[in-house]
Amino acid sequence: MALKAFIPGIYARSEELVQATRDLDRGRTTPEAVEEQVERDQAALVSTQQDAGFDLLADGMLRWQDHFRPLLEAADGLETGALTRFLDTNTFYRAPKATTATPSLSGPLAARYVAPLPGPRILTLPSPFALAKGTGVTPKTMAQGVLAPALGALDAELVVLAEPFLAREEEAKLDDLAEALEALAGGPKLAVWFTFGDAGGLLEQGVAELPVEGIGIDFYATSLTDVPGGFPKLLLAGVVDTRSSLLEEPRELAEFAQRLGERAERIALVPNGDLQYVSEPVAREKLTRLGKARTASVEAAA
Amino acid sequence: MSEHKFLTHEIGSLAKPPWLVKTAQGRELDESDIEHARSWGQKVGVEGYEELVEELQRGGADPDEVARWSSRYCVRLQESAGVEVIWDGEQLRSEMYAWAIEHATGFESRGTVRSFDNKYYSKSAAVGAVGLPEPYHNDEFSFLKSAAKHRLKIPVTGAYTLAIWSYDDHHTPKEGRLGGGYGRAQEIEARRELTLDIARNLIRPNLEALIGLGADWIQIDEPGASTEADELDLFVESFNVSVEGLDCLFSTHLCFSDYDLFFPAIEGMSGCSQYCVGFANYDLRELGSSGADRPGYEVISKFRDLPYDPILGLGVLDIHTDFVESPELVRDRILYAVDVFGDPARIQVCPDCGLRTRSWEVAYEKLRAMVEGTRLAEEALNRAHAPAG
Repeated sequence: MALKAFIPGIYARSEELVQATRDLDRGRTTPEAVEEQVERDQAALVSTQQDAGFDLLADGMLRWQDHFRPLLEAADGLETGALTRFLDTNTFYRAPKATTATPSLSGPLAARYVAPLPGPRILTLPSPFALAKGTGVTPKTMAQGVLAPALGALDAELVVLAEPFLAREEEAKLDDLAEALEALAGGPKLAVWFTFGDAGGLLEQGVAELPVEGIGIDFYATSLTDVPGGFPKLLLAGVVDTRSSLLEEPRELAEFAQRLGERAERIALVPNGDLQYVSEPVAREKLTRLGKARTASVEAAA
Repeated sequence: MSEHKFLTHEIGSLAKPPWLVKTAQGRELDESDIEHARSWGQKVGVEGYEELVEELQRGGADPDEVARWSSRYCVRLQESAGVEVIWDGEQLRSEMYAWAIEHATGFESRGTVRSFDNKYYSKSAAVGAVGLPEPYHNDEFSFLKSAAKHRLKIPVTGAYTLAIWSYDDHHTPKEGRLGGGYGRAQEIEARRELTLDIARNLIRPNLEALIGLGADWIQIDEPGASTEADELDLFVESFNVSVEGLDCLFSTHLCFSDYDLFFPAIEGMSGCSQYCVGFANYDLRELGSSGADRPGYEVISKFRDLPYDPILGLGVLDIHTDFVESPELVRDRILYAVDVFGDPARIQVCPDCGLRTRSWEVAYEKLRAMVEGTRLAEEALNRAHAPAG
């Protein structure tokens, strides 16, 4: 079994960055001072990931307002819509709103949204289904017009497409997502990360057949037994619960990874959603424990 | 036929002024802070504001006393804007969630979490049985009774919102969840235990205490109510457990939700006399009182059709933008609602939500526009129903 660990998604802001951004909004500090704090947060996050032994580094998306905004800023035919609650959290996002039937990226993502990192990296973008949700535009059109050009300008070992909605839909169908992902072929390696939801139905429908490198599953909502034997893709196993402040036991995670190894050859231990849904000290501790679980699991297998 | 009249009321928070924030943090004030206190004291008619200005100039003011001044300012700000039912915009509380949790037992802080953009909230975890050492709104209500000239409405954060905005380290199983197919049914049952614990042991005792002090309108704030579509029955149950048998006017505030989700669940919430709901956030800014002009208000017919005929507190101010609605836009939103409801007596007027993310300048202008727009709507209706000749 090949076992990795990394953290897709938006990471939590430190108390110092929280205060800096609050001060900025109230005119008590400068954008430059906030930038300096973002860089300190990023450096600390990279260091924590390196200490945890992660295989791919993430920049934590600390400048991203939510999963969509940088893409909406860079696209023609898309704009920010109503402030919308993100699932069962008290965190909100500006829902994408389409002003044309065929939105398109007018330029690459602004450089500030993709921080340079000292090693192989992951990037996270919204899945075409998530980006299209509620806009009236099809996921395939979003993929072709917006995500494909964005991906073409990015350099990453793996791009994780975050998909928080599909697993929660009562009659979720993979067809639209599959068709959209076909339109993204030929770029960097992709994984679809089904966050915060029971993916049992999607696994039953053959989610492993999606044209991507990896599939992410929330194992706090999905039963291990729903994963078919001989799972052919990189399985991003959501084993750290970012909607809970309870801290995971590395040994329990490592044991779970071993059991999962009976069904999938390639596994990456990841959170089940963005770490921004817990405070930074809790996020850091969860991240550290994820690294310990990976180390313990690799040692147990050796 | 009697003239149409719509009651205007506040919803919740207002920004805390810089002189309060800095005093509370032990920071030095500058001349702009003093000028803020002076100019707003004059503008909204705070009696004795010179005393505050002197205290601030002297330095070393007592933060609690400055908070009471801030409370007086916010009361007058709303009264001066013409709002008829008011409160102090949370000046004596830390924040709607934090204040309740800080004064309860059974919770531990877990730090700061982002709400959106550069807005954050403190989040705690339930770690044991919920308890209330002493009611936490009594001092505030007693103070406001002495300070307010207009009628008061007291917001109390509701049980379901407190529960769903908290982590639950107490009822959530600590082992066996990972890969165990821990389903929604178990998740909901855990939330039910926490929510009803809060309703019985935190909210209801507070309501009883407020009523004992003379409160006659309490708004149960439930901005988190529709967070989980399959937990709406629990929200309703917790509201009923909180208020059942108590002699007071109870309204609830809902915001930034897919309001369709509330139906039919809230058909069982007959103890709620009024739903104060944010709609402007979803609406257009152009004038017009037809359905096509007012897409943000499409759902209001469902509130109209509730079996117990509650009043709709119509949110007409988008609190997420500095855009100040024109009185004519407010008027048209009200006229559309009246058209849908058919009965103006079932419409009252309020902002979408608390205005704490706006400056006092913007909040004041928005509230003035709300009141002026309400008067325009009354005029339009009264004109339309005036006897011919």
